[in-house]
Amino acid sequence: MISISMTVNGKPVKGSVDPRTLLVQFLRENLRLTGTHVGCDTSQCGACVVHVNGQAVKSCTTLAATCDGASVVTIEGLAKDGKLHPMQEAFRDNHGLQCGFCTPGMIMTAVDMVNRKGADLDEKTIREELDGNICRCTGYHNIVKAVAQGAATKSA
Amino acid sequence: MRPMKFGIGQAVKRVEDARLITGHGQYTGDVEAPGVATASFLRSPHAHARFAFVDLETARAMPGVLAVLTAADVVGLGGVPCLAPMANADGTTTPLPDCPLLCADEVRHVGDAVAMVIAEDELAARDAVEAIGVDWEPLDLVVDVPAAMKGEAAQVWPDVPGNLAFDSGIGKKEATDAVFAAAPRVVALRLVNNRLIANYMEPRGAIGEYDAGEDRYTLTVSSQGVHGLQDTLATKIMKLPAEKIRVVTKDVGGGFGVKTFMYREYPLVLAAAKMLGRPVRWLSDRSEHFLADAHGRDNVTVAEMALDEKGRFLGLRIDLIGGLGAYPSQYGPYIHYLGATMATGPYDIGAFHARVRGVYTHTTPVDAYRGAGRPEAAYVLERLVDACAREMKTTPDAIRALNFIKPAQMPYRTPTKRTYDVGEFEGAMRQALARADAAGFSARAAQAKAQGKLRGFGFASYIECTAWGEGEEGSLTLNEDGSFTVLVGTQSNGQGHETAYAQVVAQYLDVPVDSVRVVQGDTDRVATGNGTGGSRSIPVGSAMVARASDKLSIQLKELASDRLEAAVADLEIADGGVRIAGTDRAISFADIARLPKATPEARRAVESYTPPEATYPNGTHVCELEVDPETGQVTIERYTICDDFGVTLNPLLLAGQVHGGVVQGVGQALSERTVYSEDGQLLSASLMDYGVPRAADVGSFHFETRNVPSTTNPLGLKGAGEAGSIGSCPAVMNALVDALHRNYGIAHIDMPATPLAIFKAIRAAAR
Repeated sequence: MISISMTVNGKPVKGSVDPRTLLVQFLRENLRLTGTHVGCDTSQCGACVVHVNGQAVKSCTTLAATCDGASVVTIEGLAKDGKLHPMQEAFRDNHGLQCGFCTPGMIMTAVDMVNRKGADLDEKTIREELDGNICRCTGYHNIVKAVAQGAATKSA
Repeated sequence: MRPMKFGIGQAVKRVEDARLITGHGQYTGDVEAPGVATASFLRSPHAHARFAFVDLETARAMPGVLAVLTAADVVGLGGVPCLAPMANADGTTTPLPDCPLLCADEVRHVGDAVAMVIAEDELAARDAVEAIGVDWEPLDLVVDVPAAMKGEAAQVWPDVPGNLAFDSGIGKKEATDAVFAAAPRVVALRLVNNRLIANYMEPRGAIGEYDAGEDRYTLTVSSQGVHGLQDTLATKIMKLPAEKIRVVTKDVGGGFGVKTFMYREYPLVLAAAKMLGRPVRWLSDRSEHFLADAHGRDNVTVAEMALDEKGRFLGLRIDLIGGLGAYPSQYGPYIHYLGATMATGPYDIGAFHARVRGVYTHTTPVDAYRGAGRPEAAYVLERLVDACAREMKTTPDAIRALNFIKPAQMPYRTPTKRTYDVGEFEGAMRQALARADAAGFSARAAQAKAQGKLRGFGFASYIECTAWGEGEEGSLTLNEDGSFTVLVGTQSNGQGHETAYAQVVAQYLDVPVDSVRVVQGDTDRVATGNGTGGSRSIPVGSAMVARASDKLSIQLKELASDRLEAAVADLEIADGGVRIAGTDRAISFADIARLPKATPEARRAVESYTPPEATYPNGTHVCELEVDPETGQVTIERYTICDDFGVTLNPLLLAGQVHGGVVQGVGQALSERTVYSEDGQLLSASLMDYGVPRAADVGSFHFETRNVPSTTNPLGLKGAGEAGSIGSCPAVMNALVDALHRNYGIAHIDMPATPLAIFKAIRAAAR
């Protein structure tokens, strides 16, 4: 077992974990932050995307130990002072989710997309940038609309 | 029906979303179970083998390991039964094996379960699974359906020769053969409906708990309905009174039919929880999903159409051979037959016969997947109709218009003994083609060709059956605080039932949707139910909720009548309460709930609804695509849908269902390829190997409705959950064949038409 500490959603946390523990396991099992999901075992689906030091990462392929000292933001930490992030609002406004299982990862990826690419995102860019996030319910049509709206709203 | 702000027809945003966009959903893996232990399974690496354990003790002695269970530990439990066996056409039946909870000495597909490890945590459980010693003796096997039917093929079951589980028929064979013998023209096609893997984003999972004090089990499971699972556990597997087993389903991350079924892991986590005296949880990973959850589709069909010289369809003859996998899954055998009951589609075809056979192979079992037989049938028919148009040198729209069942023929009795109540098939087709700018296609094709791309235009007109069979009983209650609670036995898997049912209540009781709570997924709270499947929840569930709302309205008026000193007949439901019609004298529902006579019984209405016949949604999907002849890559340029869903309950939710279904169909048509090696290994067993569509693989859609209300459903609704996956495969493939035929004379290509398959077809045609 090893000791790790990090900041998660603005709060300092620590834990004692098996060195093989993945970041997603640490978040879900140790911290009970279950909004981050595990949808696959090959880093393909993106249901597990969180932000580590401001960048989107797949927490299912990240060892918790390598995040020692890092700042992590999960879907639970995206709303500020009880107010939803514009990307969360956009997913609801556009019916950008059905079962909702991929949604936390989709939203975290979308926020990262805006951080990197700016607020004016065309459909082609959004679709290409969503390559690492799979949705089986929506057919992506409304997710693409949601990301475009969420991006534009953030800059407004 | 009077439009209400939150009522039927309104684009109400979902009440579910608040929890799901903030990470507060409660999927099975998110549910807290204090002291929970983790289960992991040892699964067969062989498609067919005899085996014996040579070392269980090493695993049992490993740190954190609580138990290692084998078949010997669960001898008192029944296997997982097939609930939909098929008889042979001659009335005989073939022996129907159960799927054992754990295999005793023989495995029949890669992924078949042989041992269950329960440990303190996932890592310990997985380590122990790897430490189990097994002596495997591989046996002869067969994975290919046609090969399995040959005499020399390995047999999956000793008492099922030729691996033939059933050989059934539907329609009139002799009469149909006579029509074919005399027909001026016959067009035939052999088509593959490729085996698919559901790949809902939330893999299956289950938590078993046992309360020794009450001698009672609780199963929390990602499912499509708790009552069916409770019944199978109670009556077939655990042989206990149903009240001894509570089944709970919370948020579900997609199901598409495949989470309907009983699976071996569910009774096993319950049995393990009792043995260990603590909760036991199993969460499938994606690799396990590929091997252990039922697959879908999987048939090879020879279809023939007899035509007269004008292109009128005289007869349809189908020979369908469906794969079952190694075990007959819950509804597996019936699904192939179900599709055949829709084989004549929207056309008036005088003579019809289908032979439907089911065949075992050493592969993962096959069962219902979104559409369950109807996508397969629509694909075969619409490909065949396009082939007929080519043969008759007419256009796809002309041959369809000639052969569609006309509105004046409704109600129409099909040769498969279904009764279509309404449908305006040509109307939907014309509207879809106009919206898709069919007239402008030639110009777009010429432009594409100038850029080296092959553009194709194709469409499919489908009809399907939804919401048949069992009904729903449920209730609507006015709570003491003036809010309402619906209890319903359907099960949302992401479709938005909480919002949809609240809209029905809002329609009848003129209240905002957020004052209505929908309770589902708990056998302790909802007495009966039939879950989600066959696009039944909205047509059947809403009809029940509407009846309950109507009934409760009367009860609430009766309660209000004393207080308002008015006759019930003079009262109306308005603005969150009851008022004297034409006045401002009113009492709110919250105040009614506090009246002395407002007993729990007076505030509660129980109702049921059982559909007298299926509803028949229909429509036309139009696909326009481009093929890059250098790479075989397909790009869908335009996709247009005009559907008839009877009545639209919520246009946001409806469009969402259609979009998602279409992309699943696009996946089947172009990328989803389930590949077994000759030795029975599933080569496409990860999201890196199996082509679930990504965002960049598809484009946006134009969707509109041309609704003709159902006459059999009280609200006029037709089911909409599966239609997208039914219209899409043939629309995409007809467009692709159109592109290939125009440029290379290629008249046939099978699904999935991957870039490699298209590239090879083009090269072969160019030679």
